[in-house]
Amino acid sequence: MTMVASRPAAVTVPSAASGPIAEAVASGELPGRVWIYSNYHCNLACSYCLTESSPRSERRQLTAEQMLAVAEQARSLGFTALGVTGGEPLLLPWLPETVLAMAHQLPVVLLTNGTLFAGDRIKRAAMLADPNIALQISLDSHLPDLNDMARGPDNFANVVSAVPRLVASGVRVRIATTTAGPLDSPLLDPLRDLVRSLGVCDEDHVIRPIVRRGRADERELGVLAAARDIPSELTIAADGAFWGSFGPTVRSGRLDTDLLLTRTILPLSVPANALLATMRGLPEGADASLGIR
Amino acid sequence: MGPGQPEYVGMTRVQLLDAGRAPITAQQYYAEGDPGPIVAALASVPELLGPTLGFVAAALGRGSTSVRLKEFAILRTSALQGCQFCIHAHTSVSLDIGLSPEEIRALRGEVPLEDGFPSESERALIGWIDALAGATGPIPDDVWVEARRHWPEHVLVELTVTVGATMFLNRFATGFELPTADHVMARLDAAGLA
Ligand code: SF4
Repeated sequence: MTMVASRPAAVTVPSAASGPIAEAVASGELPGRVWIYSNYHCNLACSYCLTESSPRSERRQLTAEQMLAVAEQARSLGFTALGVTGGEPLLLPWLPETVLAMAHQLPVVLLTNGTLFAGDRIKRAAMLADPNIALQISLDSHLPDLNDMARGPDNFANVVSAVPRLVASGVRVRIATTTAGPLDSPLLDPLRDLVRSLGVCDEDHVIRPIVRRGRADERELGVLAAARDIPSELTIAADGAFWGSFGPTVRSGRLDTDLLLTRTILPLSVPANALLATMRGLPEGADASLGIR
Repeated sequence: MGPGQPEYVGMTRVQLLDAGRAPITAQQYYAEGDPGPIVAALASVPELLGPTLGFVAAALGRGSTSVRLKEFAILRTSALQGCQFCIHAHTSVSLDIGLSPEEIRALRGEVPLEDGFPSESERALIGWIDALAGATGPIPDDVWVEARRHWPEHVLVELTVTVGATMFLNRFATGFELPTADHVMARLDAAGLA
């Protein structure tokens, strides 16, 4: 993909976007981040996975060109940040170069399970040492067995080995903890200590509840959430555009369509305007304080 | 099938999204209950609902032309296209607006047109509908001239839009094998028009 092989000359400057989306983002009515599901397959198969991802999942991936177009159009519409998630995005061999190019449009947080940095692979990840890029890696417990029960064998060991090496190579790392318990539980203190010891500061440690959708719903894990409880971040996947990054979930092999906005993903103005119109027409949720993020 | 769930005859080729699976951008169409299989099928691409239903409502609904003439266009087109879903649905609508069983059978092509429509002007109009929906290629001048002899141009423009929108619905419903609701079939059975 020649379009992502070289680093674009442009550097990120504040967007001069105007229009209803830019105004809604600037006023705080609309969240500034656009999420992109690069793919649905994963090398793990976590018990609470929203997308029922596994090595056998259908890939349902976006192309690098689509992801770049989303990034460019997000910026010109007035969005302020991007997130890339999956599935495991780093299973796509072209992903690091694409994220680097996207980061020249807007800051990017790239979600990864952190298990694909063994040996020489860490060198490739080092290209993500960019002030506009953060890697968000999942770690759910300071107890290896407990962490691995949900996330699969050796996950804990892989993550605690990868994070300091990524930090040492200049990559900004955030840790995301997904928990079935209270978000402020003292039981999480040893995990907080562990995360600090890996070189990740408290503000880069995100703790959020399991959302009862996808595989988590089948297993009756986590919090029930109505649309208003889910941050209304525009989310783009191969299947369409959704209300929130918890939108394009999968249950019993079937895509959840309740948070579908449009099947059209580009031009991005189509789903962005649909999101804004829906937000303005939706009644207040019962509980917008579940800490879902 | 739980209470409040629609009961349909037959199976369909595409998912009919119920209220629980309806996209957030489509929920307004479910606010008053089951919106029917056309909406439930279209909801898979929710951005099409507004423009499509807006066009269909304008083309098939009350306009400058009488509902009687509109039903001629809808039922006749559906019969020519062989769309069972639309034939069933618009036989029921035709009864609602007062068409006689003879007129309905004539529009459905089950008896000669003359049996249901002694009026020359209505037959001329149906001739125009037949030329649009029952054939391909150019339409002979004499069909147009005969229709224009009885009807103002704007009526023919409006009903031509009705025929076009009906043909879209016919192919949508037939292609996806949309099911007729139980209560519609029961009504047609009772009227001897199933
Ligand atoms: S939760 Fe993340 S790491 Fe786990 S299976 Fe799903 S996509 Fe993969």
